[in-house]
Amino acid sequence: MSGTPEEKMKHLDEMTCLLYIERQLDRARGLEVSAHTEECNTCRTLLWALERESRLLTRAMLEEEEPLPSRLEQFQERARKSMQWIWGLVFGLAATGAYALYTGYIQPWQQQLEQAGFGGSNLLNLLIFQGAFWKGWQSMTTLLEVLAMLTLAGLGAVVFRRRIRRGSALALVFAGLCAALAMPAPAAATEFRKGDSVRVEKDETIKGDAYLTGARVRVEGTIDGDLIVFCQSLEMNGHVTGDVISFSQSARISGQVDGNVRGANNNMTVTGTIGKNVMTFEETFTLDPNAKIGGSLTIFAANLGVEGSVGRDALLHFAHGSLAGKIAGEVRAKGDTLNISSTAVINGPVHFEGNKAPDVSSSAKLASPVEFKQMEKKHDYREGRYYVWQVIWAAAFILFGLVLFTLTPQFSQDAVKSAEQYGASAGLGVLVFFGVPIAAIVACVTVVGLFIGISTFFVWYASLYFAQIIVGAVVGQWLMGRTSELWPLIGRMAVGLIIVRLCTTIPQAGGWIKFAVMLWGMGAISLAVYRRFQPVVAPGMPSAPFTPPMPPNTRVGGLPA
Amino acid sequence: MNAPGTTEPTEVITRARAGDAEAWGQLYHDYAPAIFRFCRRALPTREDAEDATMEIFMKLKGKLGQYDMTRSFTAWLYKVAANHCWDTLRRRKIRQDKETDDLESVPLEHPDPSQLQQLIEQRSSEEVRKALEKLGARARMALVMRYYSDMSYDEIADALGVRRAFVGVVLLRARHELRTALEGNAALAAGGTL
Repeated sequence: MSGTPEEKMKHLDEMTCLLYIERQLDRARGLEVSAHTEECNTCRTLLWALERESRLLTRAMLEEEEPLPSRLEQFQERARKSMQWIWGLVFGLAATGAYALYTGYIQPWQQQLEQAGFGGSNLLNLLIFQGAFWKGWQSMTTLLEVLAMLTLAGLGAVVFRRRIRRGSALALVFAGLCAALAMPAPAAATEFRKGDSVRVEKDETIKGDAYLTGARVRVEGTIDGDLIVFCQSLEMNGHVTGDVISFSQSARISGQVDGNVRGANNNMTVTGTIGKNVMTFEETFTLDPNAKIGGSLTIFAANLGVEGSVGRDALLHFAHGSLAGKIAGEVRAKGDTLNISSTAVINGPVHFEGNKAPDVSSSAKLASPVEFKQMEKKHDYREGRYYVWQVIWAAAFILFGLVLFTLTPQFSQDAVKSAEQYGASAGLGVLVFFGVPIAAIVACVTVVGLFIGISTFFVWYASLYFAQIIVGAVVGQWLMGRTSELWPLIGRMAVGLIIVRLCTTIPQAGGWIKFAVMLWGMGAISLAVYRRFQPVVAPGMPSAPFTPPMPPNTRVGGLPA
Repeated sequence: MNAPGTTEPTEVITRARAGDAEAWGQLYHDYAPAIFRFCRRALPTREDAEDATMEIFMKLKGKLGQYDMTRSFTAWLYKVAANHCWDTLRRRKIRQDKETDDLESVPLEHPDPSQLQQLIEQRSSEEVRKALEKLGARARMALVMRYYSDMSYDEIADALGVRRAFVGVVLLRARHELRTALEGNAALAAGGTL
């Protein structure tokens, strides 16, 4: 630049020129610019170039170089006729699946358990066994209620997300949490004892619940509350006014229990009196001839021997069972073999579903002949009904996925992305698949960890289903291309899930495919969870909004710059 | 499609609001090509644009009740489309921090007018479209909103979530990016002082 009069002028900056041609300067500044460009050829050329640039941009963008894709041409018609129909079908099938699940599995179980003395009036009661299985279930009830509340709050937030502010949603969640915290805590135990050998002496009375852990636990005295035991060997010769909950290698109950007996043991022998119900998971369960159970008997055992008396119904699952005692109510049994000996007295009907017909002594006193049903094989690939159910289950899975993806869109997308790291997902999946149940069992060994252990197990179990949905989404993306949009991803999930479910129905290989899918998906979920809890380094934020160096008195569109 | 300034399809909108499927079909038929082109310019891929167009029209079903009949339907529709596209880009987190920095690094000096003039005259529409695809999300979005759908600075500020005073900066920076992409080097866009 030399020293011509024009070159000595202070040129307009490009921002001012742009705002001028865009008519964004106030009138006074606009007149200044106009006057300047009358004299300044350089700035006039710049204005002209910027104007041309605007026109070039508009022309380039408006030109229709490609026709409307056929997908879009047909979209309106499809959206009106097809999509609603498909979703309607999915929801309908899912509802059918849910109804079938209830009537096929839950309701019969509920009825059986009601007959067996549990009297659950709803699913929640059924699940928590009226709080009798374990005292901690009472707090689980609270948690379930809280979760239900939060879920409802979350659903409400999703539905009304456009009408409420984020602050309101947070307030809602906090209110829910506060309500949860305000709920009364379950009653605490009064007595903890721990040691190699733990005893409650004959003349001793414990007022309240007793938590006893040790290699050998012996109760000779009285516990005026519940007895919760974790041990190698339990001998209960005393008197428990509440329930007995036992987790042991060997348990013998020779004394008197006024309440229920629940637990999971290797062997359990009952020779005493139990006022209410018994429900246990055992390797071997024996009810001695002198033993009495006032209520019902519900047993899951490999070997079962009932020689004593049961006041109400019996629900029995076993490999080998023998009934020689007195059962006042109905017997529902399922197992490999059943022997009903001559000393057996059963006042109600006997239903047995097994691999072999029961061996019933002619001297046994039964209210009616045993109703035997041959155990059916679960999957018969030749039956059309099987495929109908597969369709219904696939729809139920899609609905489950739809709910999960809608409620947790970001996490679901993260999990799908993680699933694309095949090695890491599969490796972590193996670890989580086997590790989490073991960890849950270990957690259950301690009283404090019981709640956490059982909750963890439930989460693990739910994630088996979620895993299939995640893998379905990945398969869908393989076929239809990647997307980071929620609804297209849900569409891909639906397509992929159908394919995954189809693969799992392949005879012989289907089970293995399902197993692999679960490992893969579970690993992906774990990876996404892991990443979510990793600290994120915040990117550098600009220190302060930048104010463009406008000339003095410049106003942009009438607003102060 | 009704270009801005032409008669608004008031009757069709009224019928569509009442749930008339035919009216919906008509609206879609009339406006889908323009909205698709808008999305095609604003979003990175053709598939994204197709998905976005469908989603915008799905969204429109719920939003049509909010449309003020006294205003331009076209402008309102573009606003909905712009918000949707920007949301899409935002959710994908493809807006780089760099773009925030861009606001602070805009050179406000003169570029060489003759070089700029030469560049503009030599480039075809197709080259500009290809160059647009190379721009950052915010830059592309800003240019599309301004020069395709003729949105005001206020509307652009609202859609992009920036102060109105920065819209000019965003647009100018976008032009610089475009020039860089067109030129293949940053020399011109850097704007050498005269």
